[in-house]
Amino acid sequence: MTIRRLGLAALMAIATLVLLAAGYASSGGAASHANTPEAAVRSLYDHVRTRDFPGAFRYVAVASNTDVERFTRDVAGRDGSLRTLSTLQDVNTSVLHENDTEAAVRANTHWSSAVGSLYDSRELRVVRENEDWKVVWPSDKTPNVPPQVLALNFLRWEIIHPAAGEDWGAQNAEAPRVRILNMTPLQHDLGNGLQGVMILGEIVNEDTVPGFVSVTATLLGANGESLGQETAFDKISHTLLPREVSPFRIDFPGAKLADIRKVTMEPTALLVPASADPVIGVLHQRIETDARGHKILKGELVNQSGETVNIPHVIATFYNEAGKVIWVSDGYVDHALQPQIPEPFQLEVRDDMGATPRFRVTVNQYTIERQGA
Amino acid sequence: MTLSSPLQTPGRAAIPLNVILLLAVAVHGPLLLMQLPASSYDANTHMFFAAHYASHWFSPWNDKWFGGFSQTTYPPLAHQWVALFSHILGLTYAYMVVQLIVILLLTAGIYRYSRLWVDERAASYAAIAGVLLGSLAMLVYQSGQLPNTMATAMALNALPYFYEWSRRASGASLVKGVAITVAGAAAHHVTLLFGLGLFAWPVFVLALLDRRNDSDEASVAGVISRATVFAAIAAVLIAVVLLPYFIETFQHPITQQPIPHGSRDNYLKNTFSGLNFWVIPYGTLILALPFIFVRGTAVGRLRPLFFGWWLTTLIGLGGTTPVAPLLLSFRNAFNILTFERFTFWATIMALPLAGLLAGELIDRFHARAVVGLWAAAVFSCAMGVAWMTIHPINGAPFRVDQVISFLNRDDHSRFRYITLGFGNQFDRVSTFANAGSVDGTYNSARLLPELTAYGSAQLYNAKYYGTAGMDSLRAVLKHANQYGLKYIFVRDRFYEPLLAFAGWRQAESYDNGSVTLWTKEDVPPAHKLEFGAAPPPAWQGVMWGILPVGASIFAIFSVLGISDRRRAVEPIPFPAPAGEPAFREAK
Amino acid sequence: MPQPVCRGTRAGRARIARALAGCAAALVLMPAALAQEITVPHRVAAGAGVSIQTSGSGAATLYLVGPGTAIKRGIRLGTPAEVSGADLRNAGRYKVMVRAGGEAHTANFFVVPGAAQSISFLARPSRVPVAARDAISGVAFVFDNFQNLTTAPASVTFNLAIADGPSITRKTESHEGIAWTRLDSARKAGAAQFVASVPGVEVRRVVQQVASDPCELRFHIKPGKSGIEAETDPIRDCSGNAVPDGTIVTFTENDGRTRSTVDARIKRGVAQAQLPAAPGATITVASGVVAGNEVRVGGEP
Repeated sequence: MTIRRLGLAALMAIATLVLLAAGYASSGGAASHANTPEAAVRSLYDHVRTRDFPGAFRYVAVASNTDVERFTRDVAGRDGSLRTLSTLQDVNTSVLHENDTEAAVRANTHWSSAVGSLYDSRELRVVRENEDWKVVWPSDKTPNVPPQVLALNFLRWEIIHPAAGEDWGAQNAEAPRVRILNMTPLQHDLGNGLQGVMILGEIVNEDTVPGFVSVTATLLGANGESLGQETAFDKISHTLLPREVSPFRIDFPGAKLADIRKVTMEPTALLVPASADPVIGVLHQRIETDARGHKILKGELVNQSGETVNIPHVIATFYNEAGKVIWVSDGYVDHALQPQIPEPFQLEVRDDMGATPRFRVTVNQYTIERQGA
Repeated sequence: MTLSSPLQTPGRAAIPLNVILLLAVAVHGPLLLMQLPASSYDANTHMFFAAHYASHWFSPWNDKWFGGFSQTTYPPLAHQWVALFSHILGLTYAYMVVQLIVILLLTAGIYRYSRLWVDERAASYAAIAGVLLGSLAMLVYQSGQLPNTMATAMALNALPYFYEWSRRASGASLVKGVAITVAGAAAHHVTLLFGLGLFAWPVFVLALLDRRNDSDEASVAGVISRATVFAAIAAVLIAVVLLPYFIETFQHPITQQPIPHGSRDNYLKNTFSGLNFWVIPYGTLILALPFIFVRGTAVGRLRPLFFGWWLTTLIGLGGTTPVAPLLLSFRNAFNILTFERFTFWATIMALPLAGLLAGELIDRFHARAVVGLWAAAVFSCAMGVAWMTIHPINGAPFRVDQVISFLNRDDHSRFRYITLGFGNQFDRVSTFANAGSVDGTYNSARLLPELTAYGSAQLYNAKYYGTAGMDSLRAVLKHANQYGLKYIFVRDRFYEPLLAFAGWRQAESYDNGSVTLWTKEDVPPAHKLEFGAAPPPAWQGVMWGILPVGASIFAIFSVLGISDRRRAVEPIPFPAPAGEPAFREAK
Repeated sequence: MPQPVCRGTRAGRARIARALAGCAAALVLMPAALAQEITVPHRVAAGAGVSIQTSGSGAATLYLVGPGTAIKRGIRLGTPAEVSGADLRNAGRYKVMVRAGGEAHTANFFVVPGAAQSISFLARPSRVPVAARDAISGVAFVFDNFQNLTTAPASVTFNLAIADGPSITRKTESHEGIAWTRLDSARKAGAAQFVASVPGVEVRRVVQQVASDPCELRFHIKPGKSGIEAETDPIRDCSGNAVPDGTIVTFTENDGRTRSTVDARIKRGVAQAQLPAAPGATITVASGVVAGNEVRVGGEP
């Protein structure tokens, strides 16, 4: 084989390598060293995204006073919490301030979870260790509770259906009586910049048995035509114990309040087996203003029952002076509720509701072991 | 079509095609009898389509997916042949038999395609390597891409006729080549559009190079004009045969968000994708790459093949190089196509050169080379098949009979359903259940806004698409009442919190609790959905039922019935011992 | 399988001869069969047989068509045709037709329901608050032995009784087979036995009478392990019935800056909650629309 003949082969091989290198470079190239505070935070979260937690821990500063196991538990979640069912999608970072040895970086993270998108914002301190920047990861403050022995006093409702072939007219247990207490249509931003109509309200179980409720709203136009039908979906507590009141919010993206002549509400209730547990206290509820000037409802959840609540769902109802519902806000907490251990939560509040709006916070929950029991 | 006789030189004889076809049966027959493709990604999808044709040959409207969709969104030939065989063999074995026939056609196609470039002996080695190709094993047993392999087999068998017609204006070759090309398009349109393009231009250049050989005196203009005539006739006939498909595509162009696919990754950064979409498909053919570069560029007649292979390989690398994103930037094609098929075609294009290498190694090392090459080829095939076990695409097996039974009793089919965590077993459920679903596997047929507005594929795999998948699932569940979506079968507890918070309740469990049924009580029975899709008119159904399968039958009869112009056998060893390279082409 | 009659065998010819003879005999007898009449009773009790009288002579076919019944059989004219009670179970109008030769005669009679022998009883609702006026309804459908609705007036007794409490009894006449009543729920909670009866038959349903809204809701506090433990007195409605376990009781603590709420469930008659220890905070309790007392932490209730 002559040199000339090999020349084209070599040329093509080089061209191939160049193209591979170009592709590699355009996709970000090799992991860079954390030579800036922002790079340290981004690198940490990049490893979290691929669930490489030991890799992410390499960007955690010694000053964090944590270890890889605790760091992993904090980032990946534990106890069947929502965080264990979440994957990091995106992270946006911005440097708040920086000097030669220390910086503050805000990391806005977007997680894909079992219940939809979750957003989190953390202000992280980044320090210089040797030549690299490292993140001071706030270590998990969850106390290590010693083994507890709790007397459980379960209360449950079961439904026993009569055997087939009973005489005609034998009664069946009626569905629980539920009533809509309050209903307000509102034109508002539905989130993500989408405008639309939302129906806000409350529903109560007036019966002495638990009910599985859902609320459907139909918007009717000027000529009685249907403009849309939606349900409360997850912005309601579907299981209502006797005398329990749940807020609900039904969104109609794209609808205009001016086009609506009538709203038809259809609450449905079903008698279901249910448990009276767990009891979750909502402590220290208060409205604060965050660094960006937005109002935030904060508080702590305390599981006063004897078993873990895996996914708490906080729903806040806001009222005007006349007691009418003017807003319903909700959010999932990505930490599990261990018995007696407080877990903080916060919800965004509409900024136009006045300084001290009246509100009520209820907690819906999902517990792995209880489903279908 | 006649091929030159095998070389009779002792120790350098070509292996007869019949023997190679028997080898293909021996290798793939048992694997297909074991129904290995039944657990692949797409085989159940194709069986679903076939099951519909088996009972509604002239009605391509299928209510079972997406609230109703037209099967004219997918070329029907492979499905219709499976449907025809299913009346005798049952659906699954019909699929396996059609796949085996396709592998035989593909093997013959590789042999005939290789003969355009190399001598019979090297072509026979290439065909053997084709039987044991890692990418073929991946495509058949992991991907379950019956239509793709069928269309590729057709393309490979059409190319020698294209070459023959372009060089010598053989009318019989024109008829046969066009007939096979049209049948290939009726099997898989994307293969024809991209694959035939990538395969055809080197052959066209070869026809130009060869125009004055073997006492032929074709002009450049003649070759070009004949190739154009071939392409034009084929295009017109394809447009006629697949007219309902083009009407459907025109009425409902694919406007959905791109769906992530590992074959678009940078394989150097995502090593698993690199393994899955390049290393395993190439197998030990990777060892031949230096030879392909050196010999492919050194011999003038092989250069078109080399450059065709090189371009196809670069495209098959997906996002590893900028080539595929740049070349396929029109209409977002890069984010719509998947690239495992390009690697499949690249490996096929590499086979003639690999056959040459095999011949030279055998000449030099004799039995040791035979053993080594055989081991390497078997290893490639074995890795392609074993990859499904090493990296299973499904979780633990589970039975869906009870799910199907539930949907088919007590009027449950009045409501729609979805499955979560079922993987490709969803296709099996939807094939045998009478109820319809808002989910479906063939993404291009989707029109429901809740499915097209997000960059995710099937709802049953929603979690793997991150936010896009879960948001799509949430959107569908929000409109459950409008869609009559009452039943959700769950095999992955990941989805249970969303269902519980959204108002579904667990009602029953199956398969020892591994599958649970969740229901919503206030859902009214399903009704016809108004989202822009409508059943195609009856005349399209009749066209769809007659023309594609008719084109394939015509292709069979034309190949069997129209004789080729025979030429005197004149074996020429390749490569030529000295001087100019010798040429030998298929006829 | 009928044998062909036109074959040229000896047996075939004999069959043809027999058939022709039969036809001739029928033609001769026909005038005698035309002179017939039908006599049936106007009313018959369900399940009782009936004798249908005919005049004339000869063979005829009897058709009897009624609700859920259709009978065809051959009879001899002039002799009574008996229809058994088993064929006359369903009340309603029956039509008798006797056909002889080319002529048919018809008559009608009614099968009426027998005495009340069973009841279908609809009691609503299955749960009702105590001391609610006209809250319980009972509807009884009276049937005879054969599930015919007894249209004749029947005396139906409704009785609502709860253990250790007075019972309420209403007697009413059924009208076209249906009797109904409305009753107040008792003041005592529990499973009330609601019985509908006719002589010899009674049907029982259970109506759960449940406590109404809580009355005089009171609670007290005591220091707990991690704050304050609030516990209600036994929660009863205004009739003294224990409010059902599982009912939500909301404790609210307000310390001026923050607020804490616990939706506790009544268990074994009382509701308990743990609240933060905030000196000076006020704690209130409520269940549904009923508010209870207020307690100040560190102060007097």
